[in-house]
Amino acid sequence: MKKIMICLVGICSMFAATAQSDFSQSLDGVAWVKIETKSAIVLKTHDKATLLIQVAQKKPLPSRAKGLKLVGDGGMDNTDIGFKVVRSGSDLIVRNLRKSQKAEIFLPKTQNVSVTNTWNGNIYIEGFSGEVEANANLNGGLVMSGLSGPVTAYSLNQGITVTFDAVSKDNPIVLTTTNGAIDVSLPENTKANLELSSWNGEVYTNFDLERPEKEGLKSVSSKKVKGLLNGGGSKIKLNSTNGNIYLRKKE
Amino acid sequence: MTDENHTVDAIPAYLDGQLSPKEAERLERHLQTCESCMKELQAYRSLFNAIDEDTDPVPTPTLRNTFFAQLAAEKETEGTVSILPMPRQKPKAWGNRIWKVAASVLLLLGAYGIGSYQQRTSAAREIALLKQEELQAKQSAMLSLMENTSASKRIQGVAYIEAFEKPDADIVRALILRMQQDENTNVRLTALEALSHFGKMPLVKTAYIDALAMEKNPTIQIALIQHLVQLQEKKAIAPMKALLKKEETQPFIKEQIKKGLPQLL
Repeated sequence: MKKIMICLVGICSMFAATAQSDFSQSLDGVAWVKIETKSAIVLKTHDKATLLIQVAQKKPLPSRAKGLKLVGDGGMDNTDIGFKVVRSGSDLIVRNLRKSQKAEIFLPKTQNVSVTNTWNGNIYIEGFSGEVEANANLNGGLVMSGLSGPVTAYSLNQGITVTFDAVSKDNPIVLTTTNGAIDVSLPENTKANLELSSWNGEVYTNFDLERPEKEGLKSVSSKKVKGLLNGGGSKIKLNSTNGNIYLRKKE
Repeated sequence: MTDENHTVDAIPAYLDGQLSPKEAERLERHLQTCESCMKELQAYRSLFNAIDEDTDPVPTPTLRNTFFAQLAAEKETEGTVSILPMPRQKPKAWGNRIWKVAASVLLLLGAYGIGSYQQRTSAAREIALLKQEELQAKQSAMLSLMENTSASKRIQGVAYIEAFEKPDADIVRALILRMQQDENTNVRLTALEALSHFGKMPLVKTAYIDALAMEKNPTIQIALIQHLVQLQEKKAIAPMKALLKKEETQPFIKEQIKKGLPQLL
């Protein structure tokens, strides 16, 4: 009887382990959360001081993998949901180990986050007031909204879309893409020093740019547009090598 | 000083700028993670500000006016002062007196001259010192910003270069390090553009050529090619040809190289 009970408990706990699709960890003393992934990630805010990872459709473990652990080039799964989470100094490193596994990650609003996608799929980032660093180094795009902190982003092929709730003072905002478009919405009253440059593309805006004319001389480089918004302020630099730049008033 | 040992004792010295850069850095690192010490720092800072803003008490205009009115009234009540006739003295030789006056005037002028000269030179020295201190402060601020964990802060540090007319080699080398080694594309790109103001320095040219051989990001590659062609740098021909041969080089980069190469040959 006792043996049967033990077996039952064992089976139940195994079942619970495989059915689990959440992982949560405290962010005590963490300055930066650095996420590395090869597939789409949605990054949202919540009111708890924790990291919460939710995997939407957890892939069933192949039967032959029983008793084995998933290993990716980012290390070994230590969360049971295909992620490796390690602390390194004041950084918390979060690696999505599977090649195609969509996940939602929740963090406090003020958290500084850095996300790097080295393969495919879009990165969505929503609602942060801390600093955001986002890199899509291959085919993923970057879509961000409701941001109010410093933002630096790079995307190789799919471009960058950002809607700012407010623009952080003193901290430069720099967005660069090689082959995609940059599409940025700013509150109408934003004070900024703008530098918009595209090598092969064009620049479009519905803001009135105050052009700093130097004694009647026009800017030398036709590839760079410089201007002030509402008298000048935070530094905002948008670069696209081959794509267009769209700068709009936030609706 | 570990994370557990708070740094409260060192905060006043830190705000006064009396900590060594190492100690200051350690404290700043601790502050980033320790909320209670951060609060302590803010409390001290507001105290220091309050002290700085405190001024010596000055009587209000009304107080002054009443004081002078009272003084005048007091004088009135004392009545008129009758001038007593001075005992007549024998007039002295005028020449003697003129010499005395002249001597005192000379003395006065001389003293004034010496005083103002001293003041001027010490002021000039102070200004020079201040400028030097300011430059050094800017330089160290820039260097420390460029080491920050935040990419936005590193970009801010790199952009500080605009404050220097003639940056010294240390600053230029720090920028080169950012352009070649920083993990963030935007930081590398900003450093590359900042360096373009010093493109004539051999140090910078070499750095561009080295970067072109290492750099994988096409946006940075094209900026490097543009600057090297503009600088008419013949040593750039080899890495440009190497890129042309590589299969993974993006087509628009190859096109740019094909346009640029004849300008260098």
